[in-house]
Amino acid sequence: MKTEDGNELLIGQTKSFLSFKLDSEHFAIPVMKIMEILEVPKITKVPQAPVFLVGVINLRGAVLPVIDTRVKFGMTPIDFTINTCILVVNITFNDEEIMVGALVDFVSEVFDYDERKIKPSPTIVTKYRSDYIEGMIQEDDHFMMVLNIDKVFSLNDLESIVETKIEKTEELL
Amino acid sequence: MDELKATYIQEAQELLENLESSLLVLEDNPSDHSNIEQVFRVMHTLKGNSSMFGLSVIAEFVHDLETIYDKIRQSKMDLSKGILNCTLAALDHLKLIIFDSDLQEAGNKENHYRLISEIRLYADGGNESTPFQMNSSEVEDRSMGTYFIHFEPNSDFLLNGSNPLLLINELAELGPSYVVPHFKTVEDLSTFDPTSCIASWDILVETDASMDAIKDVFIFAEDDARIDIHKFMLTGIIQNEQFLAKAKASHLRPEHLVLEEIIEIAASIPVEENEEKEQLVDVQAAAPVSKKSIEKEKAISSIRVSSDKLDELMNLVSELVTTQASLSLFSENNTSAELEVISENIEKLSRRLRDISFGMTLVQINNMFARFQRLVRDMSDMLGKEVVFITEGGETELDKTIIETLTDPLMHIIRNSMDHGIEKADVREQKGKPRQGMVKLKAYYSGISVFIQIIDDGKGIDVRKVREKAISKGFMREEDELSDKEIFDFIFYPGFSTAEVVTDVSGRGVGMDVVKRNITDLKGTISVESKPDHGTTLTIKLPLSLSIIDGLLVDISGVKYVIPLSVVRKCYEVKNEDMLKNFNKLLLLDERQVPYINLRQEFEYEVAMEGNSQLIVVSDGDQEVGISVDFIVGEYQAVVKPISKYYRNQDFVSGATILGDGSIALVIDTHKIVELYTKHVKMEGKL
Repeated sequence: MKTEDGNELLIGQTKSFLSFKLDSEHFAIPVMKIMEILEVPKITKVPQAPVFLVGVINLRGAVLPVIDTRVKFGMTPIDFTINTCILVVNITFNDEEIMVGALVDFVSEVFDYDERKIKPSPTIVTKYRSDYIEGMIQEDDHFMMVLNIDKVFSLNDLESIVETKIEKTEELL
Repeated sequence: MDELKATYIQEAQELLENLESSLLVLEDNPSDHSNIEQVFRVMHTLKGNSSMFGLSVIAEFVHDLETIYDKIRQSKMDLSKGILNCTLAALDHLKLIIFDSDLQEAGNKENHYRLISEIRLYADGGNESTPFQMNSSEVEDRSMGTYFIHFEPNSDFLLNGSNPLLLINELAELGPSYVVPHFKTVEDLSTFDPTSCIASWDILVETDASMDAIKDVFIFAEDDARIDIHKFMLTGIIQNEQFLAKAKASHLRPEHLVLEEIIEIAASIPVEENEEKEQLVDVQAAAPVSKKSIEKEKAISSIRVSSDKLDELMNLVSELVTTQASLSLFSENNTSAELEVISENIEKLSRRLRDISFGMTLVQINNMFARFQRLVRDMSDMLGKEVVFITEGGETELDKTIIETLTDPLMHIIRNSMDHGIEKADVREQKGKPRQGMVKLKAYYSGISVFIQIIDDGKGIDVRKVREKAISKGFMREEDELSDKEIFDFIFYPGFSTAEVVTDVSGRGVGMDVVKRNITDLKGTISVESKPDHGTTLTIKLPLSLSIIDGLLVDISGVKYVIPLSVVRKCYEVKNEDMLKNFNKLLLLDERQVPYINLRQEFEYEVAMEGNSQLIVVSDGDQEVGISVDFIVGEYQAVVKPISKYYRNQDFVSGATILGDGSIALVIDTHKIVELYTKHVKMEGKL
């Protein structure tokens, strides 16, 4: 299932989503993209890595990088609680499939939603980068942001973050 | 179809490689009959494969080539240098056209027809430099004749979907024929396998087709059946009623027809013209073509496995080793004696399994040598130098991925040696050296590394020249005092080339820096030694494998790291205070000053003044550097797994390994750490 552009989302009918929370905000990801949900195991930190790269974990013998999704969205780093989970997601980057673990505060539920009812994300973007958000789902009194995880966890941002880090150190010097 | 095509190409490439090495052996020893057979056989297989895939252009091309070697094989023609050159050229062409079987590229097309005409010239013996006697039977090959064919499919013949009747029909199309079927008796109907083939045939066919044409009918069946083909008459006899009647009479019994019998019958037929009797071909001379070749035996001794499967096997074994480590850990913590025994047995088994599957991914370095042999041969012709290529230690094994990556760098080095190293014959004579130069490729094991040396006895590298060049390029300063070894290392700098004239052969912009980079990528090192007028030796050192390493498991601030044991020299205990309050960043160890890197600082962990650290002295190139860690856990056999692309900027971590308790340890590339550290120091120095 392609979710790369928003238009395609409108073609289908109902689709399953998984909703989760970061801080007090609600987000949703198409279930298709999620391989599994894990409790947080021991994470091994890799030195000198960008802050959002929390470390690596052992996923049944494979080495899986774990990303602090909160840091990605400009929030404070995650506080590990009993509700903290790792969503193992499959992202596509440059036609390559990469598995990555995303740390989230709280996994809420899996629900079906009519894709045609997903509202386009507001053009005057709030605090998040517009290409991260694919659309909005209105549920009772709150909004849920449907994420484009290929973009959120893209390896391109890795470079830019590293660049800014270097720029910063140069400024300091 | 694409997948099939890929298989075809892969096979064809292997066949061509095989062919090339046989041809090169043949060049040194032109009368080696077994090699001529080998060349012919490989060509034949290639032809068969090509026509099976409908690549008639290639099949026809190979057929023409094959014709030459068929004649050589039958001693109707002598192998000449011209033929070999032409065959090698054809080989190069084939390497290209297996990808371009429709000859869509103009260059290929042009080459194709030029080569075909050249080949045909040789095949017809039209070359005056290679006089040979045309055997009279050569002419007869195209004339009328009667063949006796015994065709006995193996019992599993039908299982491949082959239909023996189609083959017989095909034979029948060649001319008037007489077919006698035979059946094995079925002993017991209850145990009889209805899918097995119990039929066999004796076929007499009268045709003007050549022996080859008849063999071609059976080309895909030859491995699965017994096929004997004899040409016993040089005229047609089947339409002779007398012969037919006699033959029929003798066929009424269930036994097979015997060739001698047929000949007898044929001989007994009253002959109208007197010559006809002479036209019976001497069976012994006609050499029965038994298709039970050595090829078959060879095929059983080794099987082809796709490298994907091997990779998967290696992955599974790696997982097994990891799981076994956690089992050992668990049994250590439990006091059950029984469990301990089981765990130890599993450990033994998994180690053996690891060694065996590991061995399967190893390839003999020999596989590369043929290509180099060819390179040296072609280049010595081109450069007008006399060079002999010697190889040593071809049985040395290396991981297949390493071999693949190594070929190009080695080619480049050999090219360099031949172009810049070896002198022309007369120059060598003046220097009192043998006229013939030597390039030697030597491979051997040492510890957990493989060494590959490229040795030439040429003019060597002039240290002064390299030095001047390095100064002019700004790699060093006039006043710098460097050892010869250090100066030679400039050869591997980007943009360095000592050849005064950039020749066509070497030095096309890609230089030794690329060679060095390729080897570094394989976690190897390269160094040069040279003596003026004695020659140059390049030494490449490579790890045996990239996927499982012996390492030292260490702990820094609760995080485990693995340092490859191959670089570890010695471990010391040092006071943290001595490291932190140290301005020149040198520690006195065993009366020597050793630079060190405090990994706690480097990895941005907090540092403390009190307490001790372990300093592991590792070798990095020809220097030694100390690396501090909190404590050493012990030796550890690490299955190195790739670390995700998210960490591509942290390249001092070359991978990760899973420990017995399921946690992850990071594998450190000490060379990159030193590089990183030097960069930092340089930046600090600028401030």
